[in-house]
This record gives sequence, structure tokens and C-alpha cells, in this order.
Amino acid sequence: MTEQIKTDFEKIIKTSAFSEKDVELKKMYLNKFLETGFPTRKLENWKFSDLSQIIKKNIGELSFYNDYSFTNKVDTSIFVEGIEHNKIVFINGKVEKVDFTHEDHDKIEINDDFKFVNRLEDDNSLISLNNAFTNKCYKITVKKNYTLKKPLVVYHSTNNKIKSKNFNLKLEFQLEQNSSLRLIDLFNDGSENNFINIFYNFDLKENAILKNYKIDKAQNKNIRYSYNNIEQDNNSVSETFVLSSGSNFSKNEINCNLKGEYSSAFVNGIFSLNDGQHHEIRTIINHLVKNTKSYQLIKSVLGKNSKSAYQGKIFVDSKAQKTDGYQLSKAILLDETSEFNAKPELEIYADDVKCSHGSASGSLDENSIFYLMSRGLNYQQSKELLINGFLLDVVEKITDTEIKNLVKNMIGLKE
Amino acid sequence: MLKINNLSANIEDKSILKDFSLNINPGEVHAIMGPNGSGKSTLSNILSGKKGYEISGEVLFENNNLFELETEERAHKGIFLAFQYPLEIPGVNTNIFLKTSLNAIRKAKGEKELDAIEFLKLVKEKARELKFDEEKLNRQLNVGFSGGEKKKNEILQMSMLSPKLSILDETDSGLDIDALKVVSDGVNTLRSKDNSFLIITHYQRLLDYIKPDFVHVLMNGKIIKSGGPELALELEKKGYENFN
Ligand SMILES: Nc1ncnc2c1ncn2[C@@H]1O[C@H](COP(=O)(O)OP(=O)(O)O)[C@@H](O)[C@H]1O
Ligand SMILES: [Mg+2]
Repeated sequence: MTEQIKTDFEKIIKTSAFSEKDVELKKMYLNKFLETGFPTRKLENWKFSDLSQIIKKNIGELSFYNDYSFTNKVDTSIFVEGIEHNKIVFINGKVEKVDFTHEDHDKIEINDDFKFVNRLEDDNSLISLNNAFTNKCYKITVKKNYTLKKPLVVYHSTNNKIKSKNFNLKLEFQLEQNSSLRLIDLFNDGSENNFINIFYNFDLKENAILKNYKIDKAQNKNIRYSYNNIEQDNNSVSETFVLSSGSNFSKNEINCNLKGEYSSAFVNGIFSLNDGQHHEIRTIINHLVKNTKSYQLIKSVLGKNSKSAYQGKIFVDSKAQKTDGYQLSKAILLDETSEFNAKPELEIYADDVKCSHGSASGSLDENSIFYLMSRGLNYQQSKELLINGFLLDVVEKITDTEIKNLVKNMIGLKE
Repeated sequence: MLKINNLSANIEDKSILKDFSLNINPGEVHAIMGPNGSGKSTLSNILSGKKGYEISGEVLFENNNLFELETEERAHKGIFLAFQYPLEIPGVNTNIFLKTSLNAIRKAKGEKELDAIEFLKLVKEKARELKFDEEKLNRQLNVGFSGGEKKKNEILQMSMLSPKLSILDETDSGLDIDALKVVSDGVNTLRSKDNSFLIITHYQRLLDYIKPDFVHVLMNGKIIKSGGPELALELEKKGYENFN
């Protein structure tokens, strides 16, 4: 890999117009990545998903040179219907469209040469890789007291014109005081066997509200890694919903720093997998000051040869009295070859806190199936009804009614 | 309508039903009484097609070999079981479940499926007859229902589906006297020269409201005595221990 990645990196540098300073920084990130390479199961964070092996097995050798000079036509048929929205369209990792027509233009600032700041470069080699290879980072700032009238849908499309096996993309959001954003990430893959590396950073000022719905629904053969970092000031709220279902492999990491009092974070997720799929959600909620709250609910429905993992860490700083932290995961294993792993982790240094976690897994309840079938439903109908019922309460956690209905339709949940 | 010939059932080498035979003709109401653990629920489950039993013998329903039919096919042919312990199904709306069930059965019978409006009209009418809280129809199936409400919901389902053979497994237990009357009315409304009932109960009380044609006493997986309604009274007086 090393030769290939270095050659590809040189090519990127040559064909882009980075400043000397940027090039230095990018080189630094490349070297950081090369020190450790792709994460393996030896790392605690990756014990359930050996990315290095997964890439080797499914893709083989990666290539990294993504030709950003190539312009892809935007296929408008992928756009969500029935709901007016703003758009950012990524095709093969390159932004092809940014459209905020529904908003007051002086309330949104879009900056397309945002410089990555020197943070979060801890020991996450994938973020280093991302920093080394992304050519552009958009920063979206929502101004004080502004609530976007319509949601923003970020389309993550790929097509078979992509030459590189890996591509990286990055977005930065700043939500100023009292502002709010509804953000839907929609994955739509026309390429195969790519490793897609996504990094989002969110900065939520006082009273800001972020709702991020990640919908990976369409079946595809890609390997996806996505990292959300969320910084939260006083009274801010973040709500993250993940539908983890389409990709061959997917890992969503959500790191949330509750650093303002009365800030809260909600993470809800659904894994719906089969046929060799392997997905993971890992959350780290850092309660850093008094009176913060986090809530997490993750449910899995796992078919043949599929595997999901949920690692949920709640960290409570010694200053963070009155923390309220909760997490629950439940899984239905539809086959003896399906596997669910949960690793809850509570690290608590304050004494006046309320934290709990729970996890349960089992097969579909035969008695319930019998009950439904005795009413004339066939096995398939009964199974679907039970699974939809099992997942419904996660979808019900979506606080935005419009988007909740959209998600319900997308995943075929009947009320 | 239903012919059970020498039915024996085991679970994991434990013999539960032993050479059980019973014949139910169209329009008849049969009551089975028996102590806890005598095999009443096992019998109902087997008739509805629950898996997990080792079975020998023969059961014919309108000349179909019941053991060749899946659970849902038995429902399509008109067998209904009111469960002793109705299950709670989280996340499944009661109305949607009822509509799916009704239409599955109508479709199998070659009848037109009901649209939302026709369905709601019917279910509301039935709910009113059974004094079943209509608001509950929009809740998750049996979730947060009281014991009595769950039982009433079974009878509501029965009324909606109008089965040919209704098996009521201890539907009366847990019902107060008002609910008992309403449930009995539901059964009596469905009674006709074509529809039959197998009423499983512990107590004679229910049989004051639903007059059976035959009463059978089940002990240790066997019918030890059959007779008319007077048998229930005798049983009530003597108790199961001193019976025989
Ligand atoms: N799934 C099962 N596994 C093992 N034993 C069972 C099972 N179901 C019922 N039994 C046993 O079979 C006998 C009859 O049970 P059941 O049919 O429920 O009786 P009843 O309904 O008359 O109270 C009891 O001894 C009970 O313990
Ligand atoms: Mg019983």
C-alpha cells in the first residue's frame, strides 16, 4: 500500500493548488496515517471490526488518487420527493452542487476553502487519511437566531466513473446561538468496492439545535466509515439518527462533547442487515460539565451471516454532577449465523449522576408468530409485522414529524 | 365439522394428551372443563397448529386433515383460537393488525378485501357491541391492556373474523361479571346452525351465559366423562378431586 499511497498523494499535490503550508500539513497527516495504517482488531475501538482485514478481503489493494477535475453530471432522479429541501450533492467525493434556495442568503454562510484545524488528530488514522487527501472542505455557518426553513439533504452519490478505490470527504458546520439545522445524509451508491471515509465536524453554540439523520438504505458493496464530532455549548441539543442497512460494511462513530450546561445529545440507531453485512456504531458521549444529558437507543435486526456491533461509551467528568446518561441496545437474531456485539462502557468520575445501560438479544418470538399466524397472517407477514413493531420505537424517537414520516416510508414501516 | 380421533401429544417425552377423541357437529357448543395442567391449552394449541408437539392420531376439520394445514391455513378455513394468554405485540397497531388479519382471511376465502373506511365502520360497530374502548384500537396490540381488555380483544377479533369453529381457552378467567356478560353476548351472537364452539373453562359460571350442548371433563389428558349442562353443575358441587 505504501508505494501506491505515496504516488497517489504526490499526484494529488501536483494537480491541486494547495499552498505550501497546506502541503506541509497534508504531508504531516499522510505520515501520521502511514505510521499505523488502517485500524486492525488490535485496537480496542476496532475489536469488533477489523477494517484492515475487511478492506483486504473485499477490495484488495486500495488506490487513492481521486480526480477532482472530472465533473460529474448530477442525476436529479435521486432527489427526495415530497419534501422541499436544500441540497449538497457529493458525487464520488466531490461537491457538484450546493443549493440553499429555500433560505435567507444572509443567514447562511458557505465557505469552500475551509482549512482543517489542528484538532482531533489524536490517534484516529482515518481522520489523518481524510485530512491528507480531501481537496476541499465546505464550511456551512448558520447565523444567530436562524432556523433553516427546510432541511438540508446531503446526497452521497457514487458512480462507476470513479477511478480510485478510496475517497474522502469532509464537511464542517457551525450553528451559531439559537440557530437550528435539520440535516439528512442520504447514501446512494452506484459504484462498487470503494472505501469511503467521511468526516463531519459540528460546532453548536448556545441554544443551537442539530438534527442529523443518516440514511444508508440502498443495498451496495461499499465500505463506509463516518465520523461525527459534535461540540456542544450551553443548552444545545443534538439528535442523531442512523439507519444502518445498505452498505457492505459501515462504521459510524459519533463523538459528542457536552461542554455547556444543560446541553443534551440523543443517538438513535437501527441496524437492518443480512447476507454477510457487517455494521457498527460507536459512540463516545463526554459529559464535561454539570446538568447534561444523553440518551441512546440502538436496535438490530440481523439476518443470515450478518453482524452488528454497538460500542457505547459514556464518560462523566468529575465536574459533571447531575449527569443523566442512558443507553439501551436490543437485537433480534433471525438466524443462527447472525451475531450482535454490545460493549457498553461507563466511565464515571462524578458522584451525583444517573447513568444506566442495558442490552438484550434473542430470536424472533415464536409465540408471537403463532399468535399472528392464528389470525390468518402467513409467516412472512407475521415476521415483518413483528420486526416493524420492534423497530418502530426507534423511528418514533425522530422528533421532526416530516422527516419521521419520510423515514417510515423509506424503510417501509407501517403504523 | 371437527373430528378428533385418538389424539395423543407429547412434549419432550412427557405425555400430555392421551387417546383424546371428540366430535363436534355444526352448530354445537361443547364445553371442556378440567383442572390446571390437564391439557386444555395443549389441545387448543394443537388444533390451531402450534409447533413443538409430538403428535399421533387424527384430526379432521370439514374432512381436511388438519395436520397438513399450516396455522394460517386453519385460520383461513375458519378455525379461531381465543388465547388464554393473549400476547402483547409492541409496535403493532391494533387496527392495522385487525385489518391485515381480516383481509388475509377474506382474501383466502375469495371475498373482497375491505378498504380502510369499510373496515373502520365494521370494527367500530363490533367494538361498541362489546363495550371495547375504541381508543384502544389505536394502541399497540395488547400492550398496556388490562387482563380483561386483552380477553375482550380476543372476542372482538372473533366477532370480526366470524369463524366456523371458535375455541375459547379460559376466556372467562380474569373477567368481571359485566365483562363476562358482554363476552357471552359476543359468543351468542355468533352462534348459528353452522358455527360451532369449543369452550374451555375452569368454572361453571360462564356456562350460565353460554349454554353448552355438551360438557366434557378432562383429567390428565383424557376425557373421563361427557354429558349435558348438568355435568358442569355436578362438577362445581363436588370439585375435581372428588369427581369420579
Ligand atoms: N411447552 C411445554 N413444555 C413442557 N411442558 C409443557 C409445555 N406446555 C405444557 N406443558 C405441560 O403440559 C401439561 C398440560 O398443560 P396445559 O395444556 O397448559 O394445561 P391446562 O391448559 O389444562 O392448564 C402441564 O403439565 C404443563 O406443565
Ligand atoms: Mg390452559
